[in-house]
Amino acid sequence: DNDLDALMADLMADLDATEKLAAEKKAAAKDPHPTLENLHLPSPDHASVPAPPLPPAHRASSVPVPTPVPTSAPAPAPSSSTNPPSAENEEQAKADKIKLALEKLKEAKVKKLVVKVEMTNGSSKTLMVDERQTVRDVLDNLFEKTHCDCNVDWCLYETNPELQTERGFEDHENLVEPLSAWTRDSENKVLFREQEDKYAVFKNPQNFYLWKKDKKALKDMKDKDKELLLEENFCGSSIIVPDLEGALYLKEDGKKSWKQRYFLLRASGIYYVPKGKTKTSRDLVSLVNFDNVNVYYAKEYKAKYKAPTDFCFILKHPQIQKESQYIKYLCCDDHRAMTLWVTGIRVAKVSKAPISSPLTPRTRISRGPTAHCVVFSTGSRCTRTTRLTQPLPPPPLMDVLPPPPPDPVMPPPPPLPNKGGLPPPPPPSSVTKNRGGALPPAPVEDFPPPPPLDDGELPPDFMPPPPPAAGVGFYLHGGEALPPPPPDPVGLPLAPPPPGPPPPPPPPPPVGAPAPRPVLPAKREGPAPPKRTTPGLSAPSGGDFMSELMVAMQKKRVQQ
Amino acid sequence: MAVWDLSVMVEELGPEAPALKVSVTSDLHVGGVILKIVQKTGKLLLLFDDVHSLIVQLQCCAVYYSDDSDLNPTDIKKDWSDHALWWEQKQQWLLKPAWTLDKCGVHADARLCFTPQHKPLRLGLPNGATVSLRACFSSPVFRSIMGICRLLNIRHPEELSLLRPAEEKKKKKDTAQEELYDLTGVPLSAGLGAVVTLSDGMPAHFAESPEAEAVYKMLSVSQPAPAPETINKLYRPTSVVEKAQVNSRWLDSSRSLLQQGVQENSKLLLRFKYFSFYDLVPKVDVVRLTQLYEQARWAVLLEEIECTEEEMMLFAALQYHIGKVSLTEALVTPSPAMDDLDFALQCLEVKMDGESSGVDMLESMTAPQLHDYLKIFRPKRLTLKGYKQFWFTFKDMSISYFKSKEESFREPIQQMNLKGCEVTPDVSVANQKFCIKLLIPEPDGMNEVCLRCENEQQYSNWMAACRLASKGKTLADSSYPSEVQSIRSFLAMQRSVPGSNDAQTDESINTHSLVSPRYQKKYKAKQLTPRILESYQNVAQLSLTDAVQRFLQIWQALPDFGVSYFVVRFKGCRKDEVLGIANNRLIRIDLGVGDVVKTWRYNTMKQWNVNWDIRQVAIEFNGNVNIAFSCLTADCKIVHEYIGGYIFMSTRGKEPGETLNEELFHKLTGGHEAL
Repeated sequence: DNDLDALMADLMADLDATEKLAAEKKAAAKDPHPTLENLHLPSPDHASVPAPPLPPAHRASSVPVPTPVPTSAPAPAPSSSTNPPSAENEEQAKADKIKLALEKLKEAKVKKLVVKVEMTNGSSKTLMVDERQTVRDVLDNLFEKTHCDCNVDWCLYETNPELQTERGFEDHENLVEPLSAWTRDSENKVLFREQEDKYAVFKNPQNFYLWKKDKKALKDMKDKDKELLLEENFCGSSIIVPDLEGALYLKEDGKKSWKQRYFLLRASGIYYVPKGKTKTSRDLVSLVNFDNVNVYYAKEYKAKYKAPTDFCFILKHPQIQKESQYIKYLCCDDHRAMTLWVTGIRVAKVSKAPISSPLTPRTRISRGPTAHCVVFSTGSRCTRTTRLTQPLPPPPLMDVLPPPPPDPVMPPPPPLPNKGGLPPPPPPSSVTKNRGGALPPAPVEDFPPPPPLDDGELPPDFMPPPPPAAGVGFYLHGGEALPPPPPDPVGLPLAPPPPGPPPPPPPPPPVGAPAPRPVLPAKREGPAPPKRTTPGLSAPSGGDFMSELMVAMQKKRVQQ
Repeated sequence: MAVWDLSVMVEELGPEAPALKVSVTSDLHVGGVILKIVQKTGKLLLLFDDVHSLIVQLQCCAVYYSDDSDLNPTDIKKDWSDHALWWEQKQQWLLKPAWTLDKCGVHADARLCFTPQHKPLRLGLPNGATVSLRACFSSPVFRSIMGICRLLNIRHPEELSLLRPAEEKKKKKDTAQEELYDLTGVPLSAGLGAVVTLSDGMPAHFAESPEAEAVYKMLSVSQPAPAPETINKLYRPTSVVEKAQVNSRWLDSSRSLLQQGVQENSKLLLRFKYFSFYDLVPKVDVVRLTQLYEQARWAVLLEEIECTEEEMMLFAALQYHIGKVSLTEALVTPSPAMDDLDFALQCLEVKMDGESSGVDMLESMTAPQLHDYLKIFRPKRLTLKGYKQFWFTFKDMSISYFKSKEESFREPIQQMNLKGCEVTPDVSVANQKFCIKLLIPEPDGMNEVCLRCENEQQYSNWMAACRLASKGKTLADSSYPSEVQSIRSFLAMQRSVPGSNDAQTDESINTHSLVSPRYQKKYKAKQLTPRILESYQNVAQLSLTDAVQRFLQIWQALPDFGVSYFVVRFKGCRKDEVLGIANNRLIRIDLGVGDVVKTWRYNTMKQWNVNWDIRQVAIEFNGNVNIAFSCLTADCKIVHEYIGGYIFMSTRGKEPGETLNEELFHKLTGGHEAL
């Protein structure tokens, strides 16, 4: 806590009107050093992180170990230390210190969970996840700990035996939030497995955006046409939601019967056509909007709820864990329709991302193949310290904490304009596989623009004399699509490794490529609720300053 | 070479003046003719011997003539540089000074007109305002628009075009009252260099006079909500066929304004035509963004694009919010990081001001709280009938309640954590009913709770706390005061006299002016307010730029967005059908039912032809798919230009600084007259 003390002392000094300027200067100059020191402290721990996975028991015992997040660059050191001590700089230094203090305050409140993740082979791994980590970060962690091929289909899956539902977490979601919603005696699980539907929309966008076309045409779609589709729907100023419509069965609120209705998907929610009305926009009735609900695949609802088919999905608030009238149960005719709807809804949820910072989330996902890069690319997050203790003020017990809803302002999963759809999985034994394979979703901004129409490609009779009957023709690349396809996306797996974190030690010899296992492991070890760590409750000695800040804030509020 | 007399009308001499007779030969250059006209008109002081050099000079400098002419003596210095010859009978400009009269086809029977190329035009903007400015009447409309957009500071002029106004029913009154913003005095810079902008983003040419500055404000700030009657009075298309009518009025981009019969001072509408908005950057596109928002807003209000009731409420909420923040905030805002810092510094100041006692410090260890006696009602519980009063405290993100204030040190009767909950207002100022409905997610469903507050003040504080908590923010969050404020101002909306048609003022607004007439009829203003308020809580914290962009985003997400309709008859079909043209596809729509029959995407298009004689458009797609149709509601040139235009839009490169490829645009849209 030296740094905190020092910081506080500095600030107190600042506030003292009689303090000499020289002392101020000295203090400011001193300031950055303890800070750096502190931030570097956890690095030894970090080095051990990518070590061969330990048996769960061992990991569990190491709870208070800092989160296995690579600690990144030091906090932006106050720039004032080198500058002449003009009044302005002084102010700046003060501001920097306050900012640092505020960040530390936030840091102390960070919630962490120990999560047991079940592998495809039935074994499980336990890891610590803090609430700022996205699913992407956790996946990258898992890639380091396991020897999977790290392709894009790997995802974290949540299953709920009570509701017979499952859902793949989106890469941009935070993991801690949905897990906190589990009840104490929950039998829910987190699985680490390959799911083809995770990025299906980026591999074969035509299946979702041109679903009305016949199946053969969809199958024979050219890669460049797929890319064009992706660009149209994901790279514009807003993400376009597939215009799905069709008859689905809806389980009526609180009843056992399923009623068929004609549903339409719009960016603003799911609507249905009321009896005797047309499907014009003004007549539609809203079933649900996506602000507060997630979509889940439902298993074997024919037996459980007498559904017409087993192709069901539900929409519910992530916090609801049991059967409830607040869940919307929907049933499709076939598997394809179910995939269409679930994916469509996922896209719609993502399309609500805020416009205010479209770049930040996108860069986060698209740039840099691993979480390490991500951490580096977002400067404000660089100050992750990894202390578990000293939360201030003492946070309420975790159990009482209600689970947060999925953050509606999360970035969209970026498209994957990978030419062939599937990224070539790197050889499993490669040391660098983690980097190469952890293919982040598509770099949206890197999408090469379609080159302008080449004049040379226009035939010479482009400017014909105006013959009455012949007409004017524009021959556009006979037989080819228009506009010309963009060149292959470059740099997908080529992104340079991040400069910062030490490279993971060579992983132990590959355990053989994990065969895709479609089913959940049969092994059951009883309920596996996430273990919860209770952070120490003692207030740090540096608390006085924090409290002063709080007083200041409170006064401020009162004034307003 | 025979010498003959060419008759030329000179506008400056007045409409009554007889045509000027200039004796010319057939091999005289157009430039030479101009020189003769100028000489004859004003007894020119001949400064240049060489005709060609004169022509060069004509482009940029004024030509002087002596004051002994019969013209008004104040016109001593007359700038002829903008003048050119217009051939009325042939409807064409003689713009090439080096061409001989023979080459132009001008003979003794021709009557030419010597007239300025730039003339004033009344331009209806997307926001409904009319601005008077000088536009080029001699260049192709595409280029005229480039000039206009440059003047108005709208980037990507290729996305806009000019529309003839709908034929107005003879109402002289309306036109007389129309407010006109005058920009004719502002010179239209001819160069292609960058427009100089001032520090606040305003182009320098607007800074020349207070009037011009007012115009810029009109351009860059969204207009206050219109009165409900205004919306009602305007024309609304009610069917696809009516929506198709508007597309017949687009001007031809490849011909000049004068060629298309547009007279000086006539009115045209400037509209975004191609719904493919490229490289929208709020920082530099202030006017573009504002006008785009205005066009979208009117499209929604006039039901030009259909949306669901939920979407309409969200549009209304955003309009209200944009209107409100426009009064205080500029479209370009400082970064939020700075705000944080400012806030922290402010806190520090407060801290330094106040004396910090030990008690204060202790208090500060706990987060800020709200406590009050409120009434609670839980519809789903049979035990609690009606509202019952308890002592409530709000701390962090949860509400606890106790039997009384004295008992508040004990265990609460219940604690409810609001993170992730749904908050809906149930308010009626008239009945003094201030309820907060909470839907709190719990593992086995949603817990429905209704809190009743005593008065507006209490309601605002608690409502704001609930809303923040539902989004995972605590009372300590910096947005709390502004949230309280926005709730209060929304309550003020309800206080305003229902039925009054005042335009938007500081606090009160008639909610009818935020929705289309359909919903004006369906709901009373009083009923509308809570619905809009419900949507409003999701957008209340947005900055102006974000709110405008959110509006556009929702607009663009509507299924019918960006589709321009034409009534056509397909070859081999007997009935009329509708063709929809969007930025990536053509849509065949059944005219009666409105269903999409078929969709063709441009990327499968091989070629398209226009047979100008029988006015038929033929398109070939991959896989030997051929379609042909004649256009019934619009000229086939307009359809042709639409398709070619969208192809052009898709060729635009990603590099920001790229210049507009005018030639390619004309190639793709021009038809046989283009080259």
